[in-house]
Amino acid sequence: MIRRTALFLTIALFCCAALPAAPPDAKPLVLAFVPQENPEKLIGDVDAICAYLESELGLPVKGYVTLDHTAAIEALRNGDADVSFMGGLPYVLAHNEIGAQVVLAEVYRGSPTYRGRIFVRKDSGIKTLADLRGKSIAFADPISESGFLYPRDIFAREGLLPRDADLKSFFSTVYFAGGYQQAIQAVANGFVDAAGVSQFADLLLRPEELAEVTWIAESDLIPSHVVVARKGLDPERLAAFKRAMLKLNQPDYRHLLKHVYSPDGYVETSHQAYAPVEELARAYGLLRTDRGG
Amino acid sequence: MKTAKSTPSPGLVAGLLIAGLMLAATGGVAHIVNEEPWHPVPAAYLRSLFYANLKPIPWHRIASEYDAPLREPGFAGKTVYELLAPAQAVAGIDHAAAIRRAIAERDRGALYDASTRAVAQLVRSHLERAAAALDRPAVARSEVLAAQRIYRAFADPYLEAAAPEVYRHLGRTWLELTSSIGSPGVLGAGATPPERQRFARASSEVLAFLRDNYEVARGDAGRGRLMPLPAAVDCGAIENDGVAGRLAVLPPGSNVNDQDPLPLLRLNFEARGHDERDLFMVAYGDMVFDSPRIFGEPARSLGIACSTCHNRSDVNRDFFIPGLSHKAGSVDVDGEYFNPRFNDQRDDPLDIPTLRGLRFTAPYGRDGRFASLRDFVRNVIVNEFGGPEPTPLVLDALVAYLLEFDWLPSPYLLPDGRLNDRAPEAARRGEALFNKPFPGLGGRACATCHVPSANFIDRQVHDVGSGDPSAPGARDSFFDTPTLINVKYTAPYFHDGSLETLRDVVEWFDDKHRLQLTPQEVDDLTAYLEAVGEAEEPYEVFDDENTPFALAWAELSTFLSTLDTLIPARDATHALLLLDTVGPDLRLDASAAQDRSVIPKVYEIADAVAAIRAAIAAGDWPAAAARYENYKSLAELYGPSLR
Repeated sequence: MIRRTALFLTIALFCCAALPAAPPDAKPLVLAFVPQENPEKLIGDVDAICAYLESELGLPVKGYVTLDHTAAIEALRNGDADVSFMGGLPYVLAHNEIGAQVVLAEVYRGSPTYRGRIFVRKDSGIKTLADLRGKSIAFADPISESGFLYPRDIFAREGLLPRDADLKSFFSTVYFAGGYQQAIQAVANGFVDAAGVSQFADLLLRPEELAEVTWIAESDLIPSHVVVARKGLDPERLAAFKRAMLKLNQPDYRHLLKHVYSPDGYVETSHQAYAPVEELARAYGLLRTDRGG
Repeated sequence: MKTAKSTPSPGLVAGLLIAGLMLAATGGVAHIVNEEPWHPVPAAYLRSLFYANLKPIPWHRIASEYDAPLREPGFAGKTVYELLAPAQAVAGIDHAAAIRRAIAERDRGALYDASTRAVAQLVRSHLERAAAALDRPAVARSEVLAAQRIYRAFADPYLEAAAPEVYRHLGRTWLELTSSIGSPGVLGAGATPPERQRFARASSEVLAFLRDNYEVARGDAGRGRLMPLPAAVDCGAIENDGVAGRLAVLPPGSNVNDQDPLPLLRLNFEARGHDERDLFMVAYGDMVFDSPRIFGEPARSLGIACSTCHNRSDVNRDFFIPGLSHKAGSVDVDGEYFNPRFNDQRDDPLDIPTLRGLRFTAPYGRDGRFASLRDFVRNVIVNEFGGPEPTPLVLDALVAYLLEFDWLPSPYLLPDGRLNDRAPEAARRGEALFNKPFPGLGGRACATCHVPSANFIDRQVHDVGSGDPSAPGARDSFFDTPTLINVKYTAPYFHDGSLETLRDVVEWFDDKHRLQLTPQEVDDLTAYLEAVGEAEEPYEVFDDENTPFALAWAELSTFLSTLDTLIPARDATHALLLLDTVGPDLRLDASAAQDRSVIPKVYEIADAVAAIRAAIAAGDWPAAAARYENYKSLAELYGPSLR
């Protein structure tokens, strides 16, 4: 059931300090932040990025930390937020439901794409995906493209687990660990036999843990996380916001990227780049087939 | 969060190892892999136990952990006592009062019991709230993840070391919890309902474990080091049964990664165009400088080496261990932690000094107590860090390497220490002041001690008033005159790092010694110090070719080249020290590889190094020689691609 009322988590509502350059009656630009693994850190980040955007745009900028993706998307729908940050899968769902528009794509290691991988312990004897039959696996979150959907689809691609099949028809146990770090560490520490997460998840392992882990398969390319705007946001304001965010690619501003989930930078993108995610979401029944992308 | 983030680098080997062991959040990586920082409650708890294991116990630090306003985003302004408040509802215990009482009575056993119970019951309170919120999966998820973050105080590496099977079982139980709370999906898509029975089963298991192991009074009796181990585990036995090294853990907030940016290393033989591989003693000494294995526990298991504090011959301004450092870039190396037998019972962290130009800067030690560099180095190894008596070769090689440390070229200094014509005008005005006698200095000038023509030192100790006598009437606040070359990059200043900037130093002397400088003169003297302290290239510049891992590989492969001498000499002692240092470091450094596709190659090389070690350990020198040739083939084949 889609909720019409935005569920803002009352962790925080931030409005950055007074703005000498801002017209006193200017309507604020409102950013909705979706918590990742660490909502408390995000609260501090909101302050920093709001301050930057205010100075760049000459407008008041407010930031919210929302309860979850749904709350952020509902805020975009209701006009309670103008902009949000999310993965490709929540974006295509938001685009499909409320016409959210993609603004920019994040860049990791020089690319706006990445992959999901299946990680195992080196000493497990597991060499192929087929070896995982009857074994346990940890994913990050069921609504995550790199933390579930794409890694899960590797098994469909290899003919081991059809898209419409119950996961338990192949795996003994399926866990959703709550985040990439928990999932990859579950493998490294021997809690589970495999993890299906982002290719970058092994960066979260301690060096001695990394030495124990390897990967045996990887997904198709995944378009990276995006900055999205609500349908109907004033084009001039959107363009100014986009310019300010692209400015973060410049050396003098790069230090601010850590306050917006720490990508390596941003590039312009289009909805078309997310067509593969949309197709996959539809194949797994996450998108209504009677709606266009 | 990048990590580590923190820039991996050579000598960085230690930094990387420690990054893992200290459980501290490090650097930043792409947003899909943000590393979780410590929750303030377990962080304060673990730091407090760490402090309680020091002698004398810094009770003021423990009190501060609980009652000082937090600065972490999301908790700013609150105290740990306030964050513990929800735990009171679990069993009606006023945890804050109990911890306050333990601190007031200076009772470490009571502190352990009260704080351990508080943390456990805070986990419990979050799980209870999650159970009550199962109809709202997003809320339940938030509560479970909060509980898990706090539970981290007990899990890794303590429970893992003490009871590995229990650790893994509970690891899976937490996965049951996160998996059974269901998912809110996105706009209803992908929503899954909670599995209440599965959640209840897993939750009750975790809660029973907490109740039986961390919510019980244990007191101080019979325990040495306070560690968050389950009650069923005999802490004394754990410390003595071979896992002590795995429990050598630094508290949250520690940073023993290399300094970022990494100081540039200038070695005299390199400047003269020689290859380190042709200088056996220097290359072996370079390895020793990077080897934690010359030290005792806990430094050895923590991966702490000479290079950890003295990055690339300079300082590590980022180095910080709560309880041992009073500010970043300082450490107390003669306290309880690294070698109890050498505990001087003083809480007196010192600013880490640069080692550049070391062959010209005797005497050694901040108070100049060692005339001999060799004696100083032995004291560091044996006394400060509890290592075994070093062999003559280890000491001689280390000294040989240290003597190669050069200052970085200055853009403004002439060979006789005067400023050249390129120096800024203000600095040149400052030069005159620097050489001017002041009544407040007893008719001496700054240059009287910092002799420009003698590398800005006089090789003496002086009491300039920067320290206090340790006892009434004691004449022991004398400190070695530090050089000013490259000083711009070694902040903070003074033996205790009490002054942050060179301007602070000028103002301190002006105030303390009544120099009566005008504001313009303060500016000029500061400009002079900055000019004298300038360096043309202060930091290592990384690019696509000179990556941190490439630098590490160049260093480790140079170390291994000493096998050209050690294997023919059948010197097992020193070959094993080398291989025990390099082998593990290679594997650990692999995680710093920019091109992650090379990691398997690094592991293959590490396996080849391990094979050499096995042959030498078995006394099979022909096999060692053959395996060394195999390693060299691999190094030649893969080396150029290792970035």
